[in-house]
Amino acid sequence: MRLSRVARGAGSVLATMLGLLALTFFMGRMLPNDPVIAVIGDHADQATYDMVYHQLGLDKPLTTQFLLYLGAMLRGDFGNALFTGHRVASDLARAFPATIELATIAIVIGVGLGVPLGVAAAVFRNSPIDYLARCLGLIGASAPTFWLGIMGLMVFYASLGWVAGPGRLDVSFIDSIEPHTGFLLIDALIEGDMDVFWNAVDHIILPASILAAGSMATISRLTRSFMLEQLSQEYIVTARAKGLSKWAVIRRHAFRNILVQLVTIIALAYAFLLEGAVLTETVFAWPGFGRYLTAGLLAGDMNAVLACVLIVGVIFIGLNMVADLLYTWLDPRTR
Amino acid sequence: MNRPARSFRLPAFAALALVAASGAAQAATPRDALVMAWNLDALITFDPAQIGEVNGNDIIVGNVCSTLVNYDPKDVSHMLPSAAESWSVSPDGLTLTLKLRADLKFPDGHAATAADAAWSLQRVLQLGFFGAATLTQWGFTKDHALEQIRATDDHTLVLTLDKPYPVDLLLSAIFAQNVATILDRDAGTKNAKTTEGRSDYGNAFFKTAPICVGPYHVSRWDANDVVVLERNDIYFGPKPKMRRIILRHVPESSAERLLLEKGDIDIARLLSPEDLKALEANKDIHIEQTLMQSLSYVAMNTDDPILANPKVREALRYLIDYDGLAKTVLQYQGQPRASLVPEGAFAALDHTEGEPFTLDLAKAKQLITEAGYPDGFSKKMILSANSTSPAIAQHIASNAAKIGIKIDLEQMADSNLFTRGRNRDFQLQLVGWGATYPDADSMVSRHATNPDKRTEAKLTGYPVWRTGWQNLDINAKADAARLERDPARRTAIYRDIQIFMMHNGPIAYFAQTIRPIAWRTMVKDFSVGPFTVDYGSASK
Repeated sequence: MRLSRVARGAGSVLATMLGLLALTFFMGRMLPNDPVIAVIGDHADQATYDMVYHQLGLDKPLTTQFLLYLGAMLRGDFGNALFTGHRVASDLARAFPATIELATIAIVIGVGLGVPLGVAAAVFRNSPIDYLARCLGLIGASAPTFWLGIMGLMVFYASLGWVAGPGRLDVSFIDSIEPHTGFLLIDALIEGDMDVFWNAVDHIILPASILAAGSMATISRLTRSFMLEQLSQEYIVTARAKGLSKWAVIRRHAFRNILVQLVTIIALAYAFLLEGAVLTETVFAWPGFGRYLTAGLLAGDMNAVLACVLIVGVIFIGLNMVADLLYTWLDPRTR
Repeated sequence: MNRPARSFRLPAFAALALVAASGAAQAATPRDALVMAWNLDALITFDPAQIGEVNGNDIIVGNVCSTLVNYDPKDVSHMLPSAAESWSVSPDGLTLTLKLRADLKFPDGHAATAADAAWSLQRVLQLGFFGAATLTQWGFTKDHALEQIRATDDHTLVLTLDKPYPVDLLLSAIFAQNVATILDRDAGTKNAKTTEGRSDYGNAFFKTAPICVGPYHVSRWDANDVVVLERNDIYFGPKPKMRRIILRHVPESSAERLLLEKGDIDIARLLSPEDLKALEANKDIHIEQTLMQSLSYVAMNTDDPILANPKVREALRYLIDYDGLAKTVLQYQGQPRASLVPEGAFAALDHTEGEPFTLDLAKAKQLITEAGYPDGFSKKMILSANSTSPAIAQHIASNAAKIGIKIDLEQMADSNLFTRGRNRDFQLQLVGWGATYPDADSMVSRHATNPDKRTEAKLTGYPVWRTGWQNLDINAKADAARLERDPARRTAIYRDIQIFMMHNGPIAYFAQTIRPIAWRTMVKDFSVGPFTVDYGSASK
């Protein structure tokens, strides 16, 4: 029984991934951008164009191109990225950890600030704290990331000098440590090089905070809403009547009951940060996944785009599975 | 490279975030490294045979791979020795002999010979990438590469020509270009890959790690992040002053400007006019403006019956406020130019003669009336969605509307714009083109000469073919100029062509590109030319 459920789950994941790849591939090929021009430029003559067109396999039927790509991918070969000239796998081995590092710190900030703020706003509804939370939520949700990034750089980097500028490290630290994992903070700790570690912290803190603004806004507003719903339930009044303190009721009863919903939105917010950080990555010259995917799309580079789509799909499916596991841990009724 | 002394800041920012205290580097670049920020999005290869975009050309040509000859930085139409110390041409003009220096070495110390140089040129033809046209347009062919390009001893390279071209023209058009660099033949052969029976002549290997004779070598390239060059201490020329060159990928102008102002980079390569204006008052920053050999223009497709009329095409030239554009939309980016040969190239018309037009709506109206369209007409212009093209197109469309011509604008991604142009799928196209060598021939051979105007000829590399226009007299004059060995007579022929094309041609040029680069004043002798940027001369 359990085995068939696992098989069904695996089949569903595979079908989803295949559908996602096919949709991306065929839609990508319908875009008016020409990957050959992205490689050879406007000056090249027709012979060069035809040669590269053939080399890229574009003279084959679309379905053949797709099947060839799938076959290569199953052998672990994502091919070359046209717009970087490197192997897609090696590009992603650099870009993906850079984004995970950024998004993870951003989600920690977003959750660390958003959840307490949302709880406080609900508990002290219509108080200055609530107004502050709503105001911050509005700014976080509506301020354009690009603008926030530039403003952040001008204030905290250029004027106050509290943080380092764009990039993952100062140029003085380039080549300072071996890339064991691709995560600079972890690699610096592995190497025991605290200069590099603190420099990386100095560089990541501003873009992570800017990236966190949006998720913080979403998380705080939804936390407030979930908490308000719980606080209006009769069991809360009962718990208070039994003599429990206000904060004990909030912590042990109301907050515990919103955890399942919170896990869902945090998982979604994290997945969104992983593939939606392109503007932050552009402003902060962060060599990450979002910018890589966008550049690949603009160049019509299907090798790079499909590999990215595959990763995004895996992230979403993976986070959903993690969220499902957390549900059963947090809510005994779902076991 | 020395690390900066560690310092601790008191980050009030920590109130928002994770850390209570953070160690950080001082805002200063290392003394022995030149740090540049640039948008490196276009960078896809370091193989000199394949390079066709500005990033790769800038980094490789002259910095990682020395060319056989060099442009004189003071006058790019004059050639200087480089890896080749001298050259001579046979009396019949059909054999060019280049004598290479005896002290050429690759970064690992082994000698570079004329055989390496010959192989490097031959593989350009075999690979057939964009650079191949640099050779094929002078009669070199893939099938005859081995006979046409030969090493007769370790230091002598002999080229057999199909026609007696002027030697200065050949040196400029071929031997100062990216294709005329010396790659390590042994490494290329050893690392060559064969697909469908074709060798890649080490292309997959060299595209990320070129092994060349040059002042620097590539030590690191992380795509869309950073390129690091290390000094080659056995380079034959003057020893580069900076041990390292670091190019950081910073795609956003404002971020580049802040990095420059804070001293975290030495040179900013891609700043917007707004950011350049803001930097003007900063005494620590120098802004260098270099006149490039590139032109912006409106191409008119003469397959369209209205645009086939030369009076209509001339009328369009009077709809452009050349000076106005240069002072506003193109500030720091362009200066007025109407001739097809950029200022600074051999045989180019001077500044005044090369820009005879002004905004003159009455004259434009008179011309379209004489052409038989007194009530105007409607046309569509395709253009890039970049930062400047929409404003330029709106300017032209707005002036056109004043005399009854309706121009609809269609913005698109560059690759789509180029594809539409190459397919002749446009009426008006706002676009640009860069000459590949500083001689009138570079532009005339592509923008005036059209060997075959038929659509099926598919001469897509010729912008003039894309417009469907052809003039056999111009073709003949251009051919004659290409073979004319007397510089005065060549200049006279090109002068006639330029003046004719300015009034009758299918392409209305309006600006010559300026490249602004900003650097901290502590940087000295950073030499910027229209074709190459010499990293090795810089110090600080």
